[in-house]
Amino acid sequence: MTLLLKQLFALINLLNSDTGTNQIAAGFACGLILGFAPMLSLQALLVFVCLFLFRIQVGAALVSAFFFAFVAWLFDPVSDRVGAAILETEALRPMFTAMYNMPLVPLTRFYNSITMGAGVVSLLLAPLVFFGSKRLILVYRATVVARFKSSRWWKMWTGTVFFKWYATYDKLRG
Amino acid sequence: MTNSVDKAASAAQPAPKKQGPIRFEAIIPLAIIAALVALYFMLFFDAHLRRGLEYVATQANGAEVNIGKLDTSVWKASVVVGEIEMTNPELPARNRLQVGTVTFRMLWDALLRGKILIDEASIVDVQVDTLRKKAGRVLPVEKPREGEGFSDKVLAQLQEEFSGNVLGDLAAIAAGADPGKQLASMGVDLKSGAYLDGLQKSLEEKKQQWQSRMAAMPGTEDFSALQRRLASVKLDNLQDVAQLQASLRELDAIRSDFEAKTKTLREAGAALTGDLDAFKGSYSELDKIVKEDVRSMQAQMHLPALDVRTLSRALFGMDVLGKMQQARGYMDQARSYMPEKSEKKQAVAAPERRRGRNYAFGKPNSYPRFWLRKALISSRLSGSDLSGQILDASTDPSMTGRPLVATIKGNFPQQGISGIKAELVIDHTTSVPVERMVMEVGRYGVAGRALVNSPNVGLGFSKAEGAVKFTAELREDNVDVRLNNRFTKVSLETRAQSEVVREMINASVIGLDTVNLDAHVTGTWARLDWQLSTNLAAELERGMRRYLQGKMDEARARIETMVNGRIAGQRKQLQARQGEIEASLKSALAERQAQIDKVRAELDGARNKLEERKKALLGAQQQKLKQGTDKLLDNLRKKF
Repeated sequence: MTLLLKQLFALINLLNSDTGTNQIAAGFACGLILGFAPMLSLQALLVFVCLFLFRIQVGAALVSAFFFAFVAWLFDPVSDRVGAAILETEALRPMFTAMYNMPLVPLTRFYNSITMGAGVVSLLLAPLVFFGSKRLILVYRATVVARFKSSRWWKMWTGTVFFKWYATYDKLRG
Repeated sequence: MTNSVDKAASAAQPAPKKQGPIRFEAIIPLAIIAALVALYFMLFFDAHLRRGLEYVATQANGAEVNIGKLDTSVWKASVVVGEIEMTNPELPARNRLQVGTVTFRMLWDALLRGKILIDEASIVDVQVDTLRKKAGRVLPVEKPREGEGFSDKVLAQLQEEFSGNVLGDLAAIAAGADPGKQLASMGVDLKSGAYLDGLQKSLEEKKQQWQSRMAAMPGTEDFSALQRRLASVKLDNLQDVAQLQASLRELDAIRSDFEAKTKTLREAGAALTGDLDAFKGSYSELDKIVKEDVRSMQAQMHLPALDVRTLSRALFGMDVLGKMQQARGYMDQARSYMPEKSEKKQAVAAPERRRGRNYAFGKPNSYPRFWLRKALISSRLSGSDLSGQILDASTDPSMTGRPLVATIKGNFPQQGISGIKAELVIDHTTSVPVERMVMEVGRYGVAGRALVNSPNVGLGFSKAEGAVKFTAELREDNVDVRLNNRFTKVSLETRAQSEVVREMINASVIGLDTVNLDAHVTGTWARLDWQLSTNLAAELERGMRRYLQGKMDEARARIETMVNGRIAGQRKQLQARQGEIEASLKSALAERQAQIDKVRAELDGARNKLEERKKALLGAQQQKLKQGTDKLLDNLRKKF
């Protein structure tokens, strides 16, 4: 829980700073794939490995995975149809047969209509989410954060002794 | 001021070091996590898996299952489960089955494909009916779900029918209980009484309907009007044919109106006769309901039928029912794990939200999700000699093309069981699921087995040697189960509060040293035909009849008299009322019929009169014409 909260605070910090736009956007895109994939599957494991290995904002990935899991649940009927259409395509059957009998690949549960549909939809949407969220973050920083920082309340808050102490602590902590 | 603080803070902070896309600092935590996972698998996984398996097996067995040891090996892909003890739910102090060691070795090739293939397993040191160190926990029995197995209602009926109460009731009668005595105090609502009330109500409704119908039918006024019209028709002093024709037309019109009116009355008459006949037919239904009432009262007064069929069911019905329930339970379990063969090449399960449909892209030689190719069973413990094998237990037999076949044979001398031969075939390779089982036990000891255990009487084997052959074939929803049980060297034990009952039962079974039971259950699960026969029931029936027949006949006669007496008044009243209504309706119809007959006679008279007149006019005209023709001929003759 502490780790999760730490990641969430890191996300808020990063969102309100001027850096890490790509990291957050990649986090959202990974969260999309994670939310659309079954919890215990090879692809989910791969995404987690990527989250650990690459500099992707984990908090953003977890928050968006939670959100996109609901979206995926709502879109189950659509995913089912998309997946069924793909799995029933005659031209792809030899490939699926080979994949079905390959080691490890069946662990992705690609042969399930919802998993296949949701997987394809999430892969198609991932670049859109990446670029879309990148733009939204920039817009957010330019409007919401800037306006908030120029508000009287913020200025009063930053003028307090407590904030100065916190600023010093933050600087020392790195 | 704040701006200066911000600026000061930002100026004080060093520019952050640019970081690359790879999170090198995560390698150590990742390695720690991997080490922790490995440690978990090394230290705790086996224990957790063992507890998980114990829980699942306990649920399946219905009583505590213990697993003494469990070792898994990732590299060998093997699982060794040892010291398995399955509590007998009926005797929690004993194990139903005890297994020394079960070894599974899986193929990594299949595991990497997300499938489990056990090429060969061994199940060794199998023992049955062993003593437990501590009595096992028994789970509460779950009722079968509605629509599956026997429904609650059917089960309750069967249990009531098969319970030993029948013998207890008979014993109570033998002990001196007079079922007829209860009659006076019984406040039973008779179905026949309610039926008679219904008939009474229906009769009154019919009467109302008929009264309305009679009121709507042509009455005296209508026929008087017709008579008046008839009187105005000119029948006499008709001068010529034209007048005659006019009268005839008028008469035809009156006749047509008359026929229309009489038709309604004719139809009403026929309908009334039909209604009355139907109502009289209700009395034969009443007789059937009276018989039902008599049967129901017999049941309430615990006056059972004294015949071989009823006694056979009372003695061994529960045993057979238990075996049927077991067979049904195992069948359900087998069918839940093994999908039936799909017609399509691609097996598509029913779509479910959050589950989707699973498509199978299996090659002919690919693996099903789970496949136990061969498991060898053996036991040499405590002098037992058991061997057997399980072949091709898989989740998709249509893919393997092989049915599950399990065979076992051997002896458990310590438990006094010998000549065990069993074969189980679960064939789900075709579109029709079939489960077959043949089981034979050459000899087993029976001690203290109760057949009837009611407060009045108890009957059971104090000692016997049993041999059994059980065959079952379950094909889709059809059932065909046979059970042949033979008990030899029988020593029967009776218990009764009354000396007379004890004497009666003892006299019935004296000299009986062999008991045979033949049971055959066929049909579908929703509608089973139970055929049970046993020589013990035949002996009891013969013996008890001598003591009980007179009493039971007398009691039955009293019940019949009582039921008939209770409804006699109501029945008589109904019949009287029916006669009254019938007479009143028939008299009203007869009155109208008389008027109809009168009008018909008048119409016929008028018609005849006009016909005569017509004939007379035609005759006169013919005569006149003839005279004219003769005169003309005479004139012509004169001319020539």
